[in-house]
Amino acid sequence: MVEYGVATAHRSDQAAAHATNSPDAPPAAPYDEMLTALAEVRPHYSALDRRIATLAAAEMSERQRTLERFFLLQGITFTVYGGESSTERIIPTDLLPRIIPAAEWATIEAGLTQRLRALNMFLADIYGEQQILMDGVVPRELVLGAPSYRREMQNLYVPHQAYANVCGSDLIRQPDGAFAVLEDNLRVPSGVSYMLANREASRRTFPGTFRAAGVRAIDRYPDLLLATLKGMAADWRPNPQIVVLTPGVYNSAYYEHAYLARLMGCPLVEGRDLVVHDNMVYMRTTTGLRRIDVIYRRVDDDFIDPLTFRRDSGLGVAGLFNVYRAGNVVICNAPGTGVADDKAVYAYVPAIIRYYLGEDAILPNIETYLCRETSQLSHVLANLDKLVVKAVGASGGYGMLIGPHASQQEREDFALAIKADPANYIAQPTIQLSTAPCLIDGVIEPRHVDLRPFILSGEKIVVTPGALTRVALRKGSLVVNSSQGGGSKDTWILEPDGAADQEGRP
Amino acid sequence: MMLARVADSLYWIGRYVERAEHMCRLSDVMLNATLDRTQAADQVTRIALAAVGDPDAAHVGSPYDLAFSLALDREDPGSITSSLALARENARQVRDQITTETWERLNLIYLRMAGPEAPKAFADGASVFLHDIIADLHLFKGAADATMSHGEGWRFLLLGVHLERAQLIGRLLQVCFGDASRRPLDDHMALMSVLRMSCALEPYLRRFTADIQPRKILQFLLLDEEFPRSIRFSTARIEEHLSATARYVEATGHAGPERLAGRLRARLQYADMEELEAAGASALISTVLDECAALHQAIYDTFVAYSLEMRLPA
Repeated sequence: MVEYGVATAHRSDQAAAHATNSPDAPPAAPYDEMLTALAEVRPHYSALDRRIATLAAAEMSERQRTLERFFLLQGITFTVYGGESSTERIIPTDLLPRIIPAAEWATIEAGLTQRLRALNMFLADIYGEQQILMDGVVPRELVLGAPSYRREMQNLYVPHQAYANVCGSDLIRQPDGAFAVLEDNLRVPSGVSYMLANREASRRTFPGTFRAAGVRAIDRYPDLLLATLKGMAADWRPNPQIVVLTPGVYNSAYYEHAYLARLMGCPLVEGRDLVVHDNMVYMRTTTGLRRIDVIYRRVDDDFIDPLTFRRDSGLGVAGLFNVYRAGNVVICNAPGTGVADDKAVYAYVPAIIRYYLGEDAILPNIETYLCRETSQLSHVLANLDKLVVKAVGASGGYGMLIGPHASQQEREDFALAIKADPANYIAQPTIQLSTAPCLIDGVIEPRHVDLRPFILSGEKIVVTPGALTRVALRKGSLVVNSSQGGGSKDTWILEPDGAADQEGRP
Repeated sequence: MMLARVADSLYWIGRYVERAEHMCRLSDVMLNATLDRTQAADQVTRIALAAVGDPDAAHVGSPYDLAFSLALDREDPGSITSSLALARENARQVRDQITTETWERLNLIYLRMAGPEAPKAFADGASVFLHDIIADLHLFKGAADATMSHGEGWRFLLLGVHLERAQLIGRLLQVCFGDASRRPLDDHMALMSVLRMSCALEPYLRRFTADIQPRKILQFLLLDEEFPRSIRFSTARIEEHLSATARYVEATGHAGPERLAGRLRARLQYADMEELEAAGASALISTVLDECAALHQAIYDTFVAYSLEMRLPA
């Protein structure tokens, strides 16, 4: 792992270490966002590096405290229950921004746009003619048998064929420096409020560096989201009523729901505020019932309508899906989008892109073995000690085997499970996430990070020039989930060369 | 137009915030008055206890312990810290409806009250502690006034504040002047304390000079037109906010809370001090408290928990 230090001696050590990396040496060292393999600071990081060098450790810690206070004041917290009383904690946030130069971002942007276009076409197809299944590009039973496939959506009209209006894809940077897609989140992706709040905070902590760097603005996200949602409303409803549907204040992403509703100026509703009557959906206001045209829902498919989906759900409103079917309300994201971010379907995304767009995927997938294919199954079973095996239906780190860290016994047990139900498993090589400098207990150290950009699709597809960088704060850890010791940091996407200087000048 | 649930939350934020402020003042006055051991001190403690609706709390012990649990007891739903926690919980549920400035004030107060340092801060100087909370609550109200749109949401917030205030002051007056069978309150120090509990000492002095009499206190707290904590003032505001919000409700017309508020306001506006003295104040105070309770119910029935049958589109 890299170390950050100003001493040049240190850097040459690093260089020596990298130079000895021969082809059959242990797996490649992770890509570092700030330092090259020769331990030189990458050009886009140099301004920040110089600024940090002028700050004493005490000053850094002071800034970190300012940052944390900002989050506490804003109420960007989650509640930790335990012992005698519950306390509120902020989501750990790192002071130092992660910087991505314009050229790299251009690739990401093009890749994500291409990917979401293809995935929306895929969804429109499988919920329509199912041409791609007829042509055998994606196995029929894989799609129709997936738990996230919603038969109820078959042949329903979705405006602009925009099924996934909000998408948050997880990207990682591989050791060679190229970005790859780890996961597409097409259901109810969250984290965008942290992207915006982190930006708010880092403008306060590094104002000078921020101004000079020419960072692309992300403040328009709420506008763009609102425009996307408005674009989904029926043409004959000139002034559509848009609402954000939240599961309620006890949901861990509640802050985000309230934040987006506030910045878009839309009511934040819960299921109990809604009433379905005569195939229309209304909300209860102080002056009576008011019709709703578009619901930006932050409630999972399963819970939006107990009449159609899970019967025990109290989070949605009975009859909502019928209103949707009748075309009297638009639900964003459309129900059933989850089938396109299914772990097994993921392996076919490059083929899906080729099928609909006739192009090669700009952002590659992580190599994925499908245990349903006999040839790949034998490879997986032979290499269990090198692979990460995931159950297709599970998420959040459950039903997962991390080969290199598992015991022999665990691997044997898992092999039996895979043989019993191969279609339920996929395997991927252990992935090295890139590292970025983070302030840990007053010292700057490398930690593994991923990247979650947010893509909006309505009439057209827009990639927000920003992202949430999630950080695995524990040393050496590759887990960036906030439930398991993950934090986040601001992400600066730089203007194309010189654009920052040209703007705002005669 | 706003969500019924949101209006309800804003209304309750107003109520809880006002309640917390009143409790702070009661505790502070009680602690101050009991510094010297006089008969008046006992009287003040009795008034404070009765006003918080806990007349048989004699078992709690010293006034200090009493004030401590009134301020920081999380188990007690009526304590200051519970009120503030509830106000903030409601604010969290309508976070999209209140401005960041307003939210920050309330969140700060809550963090201070619920934080681990609160008991020590209280022990180090109860008076300073309570005083700071009151000042912070004033900042909260100021922020709401200065940054929120003076529309429906703000009106519901203030409806809560004024209705709660009218009820709290009403209860205080009932304890002091409502019971004809008790010996009338005449001790100078006790009377001063009553004025302090309603934050009325300075405005009272300006109005009546240092001539402190029970009759004038009653007149001031019940019927003064300009003092913001007199019941008449609060009911006038309630009527004002209700007529502004009820404007948009077609279904209720004149049968709802607006009529109740107008009648209550008129009752106080046209009350006659002479008659009041002859008949005893207790009847009027009871009427005021009953009508406030009815108003609360009417607001809930009209704006929040209305029957859907009446409002469905044809």
